[in-house]
Amino acid sequence: MERQWPTETTDTTAPIGQTIVFADVSVVRDGAIALRRVSATLTERRIGVVGLNGSGKSTLLKAIVGLVAPSEGTIAVDGRDAVTEARAVRATTGLLFQNPDSQIVFPIVGDDLAFGLKNHGVARAEVGDRVATTLERLGIARLAERRIHELSGGEKQLVALAGLLVIEPKTLLFDEPTSQLDLKNRNRLRGLLADLPQQAIVASHDLELLADFDRVLVIEAGRIVFDGEPAAAIATHIERSA
Amino acid sequence: MIDGLGSTGTTPLHRLPAGVKLAGLAVIATVLFVVREPMVLTAVAAAAIAVALSTGRGVAATARDLALPLGLVAAIGAVEWGLGDGEVAACVVPRLVALLFLAHAVTLTTSTAELAETFEAGLAPFERLGLIDAGRAALTLTLAIRFVPLIVEEAREIREAQAARGLSIRPTALIVPLVVRVLVRAEEVADAIDARGFPPNKNSNM
Amino acid sequence: MTTRDLGFVALFAALIVALGLVPAVPLAGLPVPITLQSAGVMLAGLLLGPKRGTAAVAVVIALVGLGFPVLSGGRGGLAVWVGPTAGFLFGWLAAAFVAGTVAMRLDTEAHAPGVRLAGLIGGAILGGIVVLYAFGIAWLTFGAGFAFPKAFVGSMTFLPGDIAKALIAAFVTAQVRRAFRLERK
Repeated sequence: MERQWPTETTDTTAPIGQTIVFADVSVVRDGAIALRRVSATLTERRIGVVGLNGSGKSTLLKAIVGLVAPSEGTIAVDGRDAVTEARAVRATTGLLFQNPDSQIVFPIVGDDLAFGLKNHGVARAEVGDRVATTLERLGIARLAERRIHELSGGEKQLVALAGLLVIEPKTLLFDEPTSQLDLKNRNRLRGLLADLPQQAIVASHDLELLADFDRVLVIEAGRIVFDGEPAAAIATHIERSA
Repeated sequence: MIDGLGSTGTTPLHRLPAGVKLAGLAVIATVLFVVREPMVLTAVAAAAIAVALSTGRGVAATARDLALPLGLVAAIGAVEWGLGDGEVAACVVPRLVALLFLAHAVTLTTSTAELAETFEAGLAPFERLGLIDAGRAALTLTLAIRFVPLIVEEAREIREAQAARGLSIRPTALIVPLVVRVLVRAEEVADAIDARGFPPNKNSNM
Repeated sequence: MTTRDLGFVALFAALIVALGLVPAVPLAGLPVPITLQSAGVMLAGLLLGPKRGTAAVAVVIALVGLGFPVLSGGRGGLAVWVGPTAGFLFGWLAAAFVAGTVAMRLDTEAHAPGVRLAGLIGGAILGGIVVLYAFGIAWLTFGAGFAFPKAFVGSMTFLPGDIAKALIAAFVTAQVRRAFRLERK
């Protein structure tokens, strides 16, 4: 299903996203093949990636923002190469790591959000407002001056997410977002995901989370073995993992 | 996150700019090493103690802060005096006491932010020579502060896990898994920093 | 320095600080429990190599100067920079550098396992004891005015504990490198 994302829109409720193209991509990490000849054009609003541990889900996401370079093939995000134009891609594509502690760099919440903005050249005068607005939008304005190490796991994840949203990306990549959360926080994340205007690509074991997505890819040993409707994809994954 | 010892306050020393205090400390320290008069040095030491107490930290806390170095100074003095080098002791002890209390007073009355600014200004010439990148240096320090509590927590977890298995504390058994976790985390953090667009372009409008 | 180097330096500096906050460990044969912080300094050099290991130590020293109580016992601030133990603090830079240089040279695939371990122990002792004590005693003598022979003898009381730490650092390095591939810089 080919869909063109609107490149400019004044309608703030219009969906936002990018076209991500994997062209015959192989990735080698630590001497092992992590992705094997992956080809796909990703344009949908909600895309899921399922696979067992070590199947290559994380590598797929990291490759989109140029954290791992393909040994063969290319990845383009709205036409920009993920490796040679990584900076531009990272300005519009956020990656939420599985462990929020790895992603939060500053000891105080507000300062960490400011870090993201400063990296992308946002003027100092604007930083304060954008940090406040983003925290507000996620319902964690009260955490602005708090210290990271005093927060719960769920709160840390929200802070990490805020750190990505503050630069107003077009696409968000999620690496196993619910695997370390309890039920309450898992539900909260599902709610957030439903309301998120940005395109989202989610690598997860949480089959319920992906159930109402637009498209789900099943990865096995670095290869895409199924690509299509969530229900069928999930069924395939379950069957093949038995 | 650990807190710095410095604080903001209203005492005269608090209100002096950081640069003045640091330069003053450097000058006084140099002078102290040149002076050889025990009486003069003792007077300076007494003044230094008074200055340190003027910061409002309190006698007990100040004594605790400086317990180790003061104890060492006392030991040095006792040894020198006991071995007949009383004159040496009469100079060394007040000199070190003066240095310790003055330096500590500067630390107590200068906030971390002020010190960091002065530090950055001090690094500026090295940056112009291309020897150091102040932005990366600052980020490195911030990262270190940020992760201390997490690593302390991980050390605690490892120790508890081993105690639960009935193993006594062996340093290697604690440090090896801790170091591995730290190294793994370092790689993840580096990836996250890259993914968040660090470093900023030099010609951004900041 | 790449971002990865920055990460290693910062996190290792945090580790050195954290090791100062962990309670002292009793060791059989030693009268006093040992604090692990200076073992962390030797580890920085042995694991990260001379440049990054020294950089990690520099971060810790900078934090001390900025007034953070990061040295074991909660010590910090300019008093440590100018006090009698300043040589042992700034000497950590040389300690990490020397340990790292020796490790980079001797702990490689080109040498037999026995040589590699000896190299790690040698690096830890050369850096963490010989060079460190040289700086520490030099400052005690010239800076603090404590005559050399007495400064020397006084410092020797710490020798058994520091030798234990050097051995710990060497063994930890060998074990960590089995679990985590890391080149030295």
